[in-house]
Amino acid sequence: MTKQSKMSPEEQRLEKLQEQSEQKRRRRDKDRNVLQELNRALDAATRTLTKGLIRGFGNERWQSLTIPLLAIALSLVAISILVLMLGSNPLNVFTGILAGAGWIPKPSYGGGQSQLTDLISLSISLTPLLFGALGFVVAMRAGLFNIGIAGQMVVAGFAATVLVGYSDLPALIARPLVLVVGAIAGALAGALIGFLKHRFNIHEVVSSIMLNNIFIHVASYLIKANHLNHASRNMNAASAEARLLTEPVQFGEVAARLPVGFLVAIAMSFILWLFLTKTKQGFEMSAVGKSPKAAQYAGIKIGPTIVFAMALSGAMGGLAGVTHYLANVPAMTPDVLPALGFDSIAVAFLGVVHPLGAILAATLIATLSSGAVYMGSVAGVRHEVASVITGLILLFTACGGFLRAWLDNKKRSFADDENLKGGDAS
Amino acid sequence: MNFAAINYSAIIVDGLSFALPLLIIAIGGIYSERSGIVNLALEGLLGFGAFTGALFVASTVSLFAVTSDVPMYLSFVLAALGGAIFAMLHAALCIKFMANQVISGVVINILSVALTGFLTSTINANIFGQASERFMLQTSPRWDIPYLMEIPILGAAFTRVYPFIFIILIVAAFAWYLLYKTRFGLHVRAAGDNPQALDAAGINVARVRFTAVAISGALAGIGGMSFAYSISTNFSPAIYMGFGFLAIAALIFGNWRIVPTFAACLIFGLTRSAAFQLLPVFDAGAAVIDLAMTAPFVVTLLLLAIFGKKNKMPRALGEIYDKSKR
Repeated sequence: MTKQSKMSPEEQRLEKLQEQSEQKRRRRDKDRNVLQELNRALDAATRTLTKGLIRGFGNERWQSLTIPLLAIALSLVAISILVLMLGSNPLNVFTGILAGAGWIPKPSYGGGQSQLTDLISLSISLTPLLFGALGFVVAMRAGLFNIGIAGQMVVAGFAATVLVGYSDLPALIARPLVLVVGAIAGALAGALIGFLKHRFNIHEVVSSIMLNNIFIHVASYLIKANHLNHASRNMNAASAEARLLTEPVQFGEVAARLPVGFLVAIAMSFILWLFLTKTKQGFEMSAVGKSPKAAQYAGIKIGPTIVFAMALSGAMGGLAGVTHYLANVPAMTPDVLPALGFDSIAVAFLGVVHPLGAILAATLIATLSSGAVYMGSVAGVRHEVASVITGLILLFTACGGFLRAWLDNKKRSFADDENLKGGDAS
Repeated sequence: MNFAAINYSAIIVDGLSFALPLLIIAIGGIYSERSGIVNLALEGLLGFGAFTGALFVASTVSLFAVTSDVPMYLSFVLAALGGAIFAMLHAALCIKFMANQVISGVVINILSVALTGFLTSTINANIFGQASERFMLQTSPRWDIPYLMEIPILGAAFTRVYPFIFIILIVAAFAWYLLYKTRFGLHVRAAGDNPQALDAAGINVARVRFTAVAISGALAGIGGMSFAYSISTNFSPAIYMGFGFLAIAALIFGNWRIVPTFAACLIFGLTRSAAFQLLPVFDAGAAVIDLAMTAPFVVTLLLLAIFGKKNKMPRALGEIYDKSKR
């Protein structure tokens, strides 16, 4: 007689039910275990990822280099997703931009063009961007937002074109004179902002906006009244002797005009770096920028320092103006503030507000704009995508402070974890 | 000089058609700045708003009768929505990601110009199958208001009026009520003047500021859409003509308060239209218009120089709110 036969049908059913529920529980436990495993693996993965991020980006000494790189990487990922959604290959976009800007060779070149001429065009468009960024950096060191670079560019470009560009001076005199006139005109326009802040306590952002619009409209009035080229609707162009491009130089089979301002801009970055870090005036400017009150107690005259910083910043803006209007574009267009004046602010920030960082940042942004048209023709994406990349890089750069704080925070909590573990072991 | 040739009614109508969009953008700026967030992004926000509205019109115009005005009215709703969403990016950068507010404004402007330009030509090429950098809009109807238009001189304000004038007046009145007469408005103003006190009263400062910036974007979007209808009857990147910065001048001129800002916008708008109308009379040549355009900026700068000490900008404007700070 088996055990089962002794059981009543109810008991048998009960046992069956119990068995079923037991099975169910076991299955659930198994599921839960799998989930837990998965969770643990995910946790470990994010931990390693954050640890990697901290190892890569947490070192404070290198953060001024690594944080912008992270911003660039993030925007490239975002753009790749966008381009994939449009059904094109992101790699073609990036190589297209690099080829268009002259960093890598194109498969074929038109007559009179080569990789070298592409690189030279890149340096022409890079120059005003670098000067503009330097102008912003100088003001920012003294704690001032010079968003008036566009206005200073207009004043300098107009003054240099009228005073030197319409004269018969030979190139050897005209070109240096254009740079000097541009720097002085820009410096005066910048100093005015500093003066308004010092004397009337008008915030420099507000006065810059007003002055930008006043400058462009007054210049447009003078252009339309006296200097309008009726065919192009632009200002009459400056003479070839005054333009900041040399006579064509022969490179093997191709000839190209070289930008006069490019080497000046690179040299100026190093000069400003030395000025800001090694001289008394540079130190005073930084002191006023970091803490006006402390600077005042130390006997630094705040007013003159502010005016001086804005004049120096304006001079760079002026150089940006002449290298833009007398090299980068044919002539000034009335009623339009140069977008480059605002782009250079963003370039300065991408270059972590450092004169040498500005060189790298300006190179990157100029590459994007310079390579855009060629990329548009080969990658099957509208060329405007390049300016979207620029915008996204700047967007992520603006979050740099947050990224830094987040990394610091994670680093600290990891360090705490490690300490706790160490405590358990002993 | 031939004074009989002056078209006074055009001065008033064109002046209002310019002043009111400017006003609604400036009110947007007031909301953001009274809550403590500097808003240099107005230029980008009005452009993005106009882009969203125009995209809506371009993609739905075939669904409506040719003579229907419905797409136009809906485009204002969409423009407000688009502006608000784009403004949230500014809010997120300033509040959550602790970005510098001036820099964030500049970046938002750059991104807006880039994105709208890219999207307009990409959507035109890929969806509508045409190579164009603009979205066409229908011509806006113009209304003559019966009876009111017969009042001498002032009646001109009621002839050939753009419908958006009324949309803006209603929205502006509501915005005024919301800012000065409601609890939420009080919170917005407190967030800009004394966020610590607001926090102590148990209100979430970040949330108030976020909402204020979103409202700012919505209002700027309505203004941008109005400009798209009145100035060009299309959307193209040419809409970035510096009106956002003019609105900033207006709100500073108006001391961050709505009614004086309204007066400032009227002065700006009427000066501009008067200059356009007076040109032929004084035989001055088209260039003079540029000198007239400097007037609002010169006057604002002079006012700031003379009354700068009295100017009351929100006390916590531009500061990232930090709970632990006292």
